[in-house]
Amino acid sequence: MHNTLGAFVFSVLALMTTAPLAGPPETQGKARPAEVVIVTSGGIKVLSREEAAQLFLGQRTTLRDGTPVTLIDLPAGPARNHFYRELTGKNPVQVRANWSRLVFSGRVRPPLEAGSQSEALELLARTPNAIGYLPANASDNRLKILLNLSGS
Amino acid sequence: MNRIFRAACATTLLLFMAPGLRAAVAGERPSHSGATAAAAPEQDGASAPQPDETSRFRISGFATLGMVATGSRDVRFIRPSVNHPGGENPDFGPDTVIGVHGDISLGARAALVLQAISRESTLGSFDPRASLAFVSYALTPNVTVRMGRVRVPFFMLSETIDINYANPWIRPPTEVYSLNPFNELDGIDFLVRTGIGGVNIEIHPYYGSSILPIYQGGNSHLSNTRGLNISVTAGSLTLFAGHTESEFALKWSGNDFLALSAALNAVTPNAANILGKLSGNDGFSTFSALGAQWDDGRWLLIGEYTRLDSRRYTHDAHAWEVTVARRFGNFTPYLTLARHTEDKPVSTDMTGIPQIDDALRAFIASRNLSQRSVTLGTRWDFYRNTALKLEFNHARISGESWGSFFARDPMNARMRDRSINTIGVSVDVTF
Repeated sequence: MHNTLGAFVFSVLALMTTAPLAGPPETQGKARPAEVVIVTSGGIKVLSREEAAQLFLGQRTTLRDGTPVTLIDLPAGPARNHFYRELTGKNPVQVRANWSRLVFSGRVRPPLEAGSQSEALELLARTPNAIGYLPANASDNRLKILLNLSGS
Repeated sequence: MNRIFRAACATTLLLFMAPGLRAAVAGERPSHSGATAAAAPEQDGASAPQPDETSRFRISGFATLGMVATGSRDVRFIRPSVNHPGGENPDFGPDTVIGVHGDISLGARAALVLQAISRESTLGSFDPRASLAFVSYALTPNVTVRMGRVRVPFFMLSETIDINYANPWIRPPTEVYSLNPFNELDGIDFLVRTGIGGVNIEIHPYYGSSILPIYQGGNSHLSNTRGLNISVTAGSLTLFAGHTESEFALKWSGNDFLALSAALNAVTPNAANILGKLSGNDGFSTFSALGAQWDDGRWLLIGEYTRLDSRRYTHDAHAWEVTVARRFGNFTPYLTLARHTEDKPVSTDMTGIPQIDDALRAFIASRNLSQRSVTLGTRWDFYRNTALKLEFNHARISGESWGSFFARDPMNARMRDRSINTIGVSVDVTF
């Protein structure tokens, strides 16, 4: 029993001391990020807020008319967290737990994760029927704004 | 050292290598960073068409490195019918798992999904097995058919039994989740999504078969398995109801069972009758589950009730669990109460010969999982896609049962009404 307890305490200590080196997760954005817009390259005409929330929660993979959609995620960070909180009300840990359930059960594919905001812009501009989100001031004239999440 | 420890080490290595594997695959995409996007035409040749990002093979994965220590020397914690009783304490066997997941889309409506998983089996091996292997096809935007191997969908949280990152606990409560230990369903299912207002409804009928190897040799087999699940989600609340019926075979061929059979055959003309209740291919079972979840971002409440009725080979039992968890930033402490109750034992027939009856009773008790427990633990999301969990479990075995424990010396086991403490620590990642 003594050895067991020792091994246990050692493991916990080892894990706890290595944790700070890894850095904290990005669960709490400090400054409020810029307003976020949901954008598409074109082709998609309208998107309701409810549809958008269902898409980004993995509850649907197509638009109402059956058009399959490719979702583009920003890299993990305050802009992505702000977007999910505004649209779905879920915090980053909830969002990741939800997507890991959906993806690893083989129900849906996860959004394509862009390496950076500028890559997200490129992917959105180039991929047919792509839907993504960007800070309002980062969108450009190749993209169409479907929804503005600033109202909430 | 021993086999399980080596397997745990191998799994850990895999766990650290897997992100590299993924990066290697991801690196082949022409445009996964601004720099490669610019360079892509040179690499691919200017005339090469831009590949469609959505059709590419994608690889990802999940893993848990977990250990559990039991406070009593003569018993081992097990997930009954899931993993092998460990020889080591602490034991890395029950919770350590790694899965690698790949999918490729085959046009707009179809996709192929493959997943391999490595975890300790009832035979003590970490050999990878195919946990998912199916083709899905969207018949309409709201109806998907899947053919091949899917996860057995008997419980509310069946899909995440091995994906611990998606759950608050180290493992789903064993009282409930050991009531039906099958893993994969080979067959066909339909996912029908519908909704009224803000309420999403999923109707999930399925048909297939499943096979599971058992400790020391033999297997259990579900065939002609048909069931229906319905889940309803409205805001933070999800309700689940599922029911399944199946033909059931259980064939023991391990040494302990063969010794018991030989002894019974030697002493009683009733042996065939007794053994026919323990092992054979003429079973039928029904299983039902009712569950609810509330997750508002701050509070996470989970409750599930399950019930198994079986004609032969396994006991009739019901089980429930209730979990309350509360998020405080990156910490999510939780409290779980759970109970597994036997309604009808596998067999009550005895021979009248004390030594043989002791063995028979030990065998039947080992098939009884009745216990109740309280679990106190916390999840700590200390890094992106990584969670550390720490939990303490106090279990009390109910009556002639082994609960979720395995006696190291089965013939001399004193399990009745014992209290056993376990401590678990695990790290879950997704990549």
